[in-house]
Amino acid sequence: MLADKMEILKESIPFLLKGAFMTIELTTFAVVIGIILGTILGLARVSHNKLLNGIAKAYIEFFRGTPLLVQLFLLYFGLPNIGIDISAYFAAILGLGLNSGAYVGEVVRSGIKSIDKGQMEAARSVGMSYPQAMQYVILPQAIKRVIPPLGNEFIALLKDSSLVSVIAVKDLTRQGRLIISRTYESFLIFAAVAVLYFIMTFIMTRIVNYAERRLSISD
Amino acid sequence: MIKVEDLHKSFGELEVLKGINEEVKQGEVVVVIGPSGSGKSTFLRCLNLLEDITAGKVYIEGEQINSPQADIDLIRQETGMVFQHFNLFPHKTVLDNITLAPIKVKRLNKKEAEKIAYELLEKVGLKDKADSYPSQLSGGQKQRIAIARALAMQPKVMLFDEPTSALDPEMVGEVLGVMKDLANEGMTMVVVTHEMGFAREVGDRVLFMDHGIVVEEGDPEQIFTNPQEERTKEFLAKIL
Repeated sequence: MLADKMEILKESIPFLLKGAFMTIELTTFAVVIGIILGTILGLARVSHNKLLNGIAKAYIEFFRGTPLLVQLFLLYFGLPNIGIDISAYFAAILGLGLNSGAYVGEVVRSGIKSIDKGQMEAARSVGMSYPQAMQYVILPQAIKRVIPPLGNEFIALLKDSSLVSVIAVKDLTRQGRLIISRTYESFLIFAAVAVLYFIMTFIMTRIVNYAERRLSISD
Repeated sequence: MIKVEDLHKSFGELEVLKGINEEVKQGEVVVVIGPSGSGKSTFLRCLNLLEDITAGKVYIEGEQINSPQADIDLIRQETGMVFQHFNLFPHKTVLDNITLAPIKVKRLNKKEAEKIAYELLEKVGLKDKADSYPSQLSGGQKQRIAIARALAMQPKVMLFDEPTSALDPEMVGEVLGVMKDLANEGMTMVVVTHEMGFAREVGDRVLFMDHGIVVEEGDPEQIFTNPQEERTKEFLAKIL
């Protein structure tokens, strides 16, 4: 009995690992999109341009105010319905990335806001333009402050990425469900899935802590 | 050098500057004194547009700085500013604090910028601190570096916004010393300060501000020994 279960687990591991790598891949792409988009949104949120600010705010409120699952459905089932074809893989990355961008945008905004306004004034007073002051003075300081919240953000994103399993992307959760549909070993397999997620978030937490320590050295 | 015409500044409903007319000549050291809330810092900050001006005109070397055509970044390069709280860039070394704007704004190469920086560090007596970070410096040292940073852009005017107010008493002297040297070299300076000794010794002219206007002005000796206005007398009685 136990030997049977061990055998099933052993056979499942390559599939689960494949799923885990897909989860990492999706999360990585989504993080990249999230950082780029979030930085743009964050900068727009602190700019004095009312239009830019308004657009960024509306974007952030929409993506934070609706469920990620519904956003994924909208991309994967909704877009083809209005004539835009999109693969499950691409819909997953886009959905996670667009969603993450909204949260990162808020983190970036509060990071910039946390820098003493004397820094901007000092930079401007020596003749730097606003973009130069942002680039050389404000953002390098803000980055240190946003590393911990961003790290938490991306750990949450990795876990939330399990939602893409419902739009037929073969991530870790999906692989687990496929194995269960053949073996009916739902406790065993979901436990294995949970352990794999835990290992991934555990490693990510260590990386974030390391980055935090490294960046705080010059303080 | 600097000409201010009917300068008004409001923060929302609150009118902080109620019509200032002033002129600062080349090489002149003007000291602005007055109780807190009198608008003296705001006045100073209007001179390089850190505050936008509600009404009136400010000219620097004949150019109106608060006109839409004015290139404010260029104007600020020529008006150095020193802040009460130093505002050094904490993520950069002392040397990088000083060379950042010359390199990025004036497009000097690193070598040229560092040459200027070392000369300035020599001048403020902190050559050995080039590679330190601001957090490793005392308040007086920070402020001297902040002065060097402003001077690195080779400004024509230096604005000082209560440069010694955040310092421990024993560090005030070293900062005033640097400022005095600067004045002796002929730098045009506008200094908001509570240091009456400095005002008397270094100032060419003293402005006493209260409630958003210049109540009285004159040479330091006259203001301190024989003030004409009642409000000036009251203020001086409290602080001297």
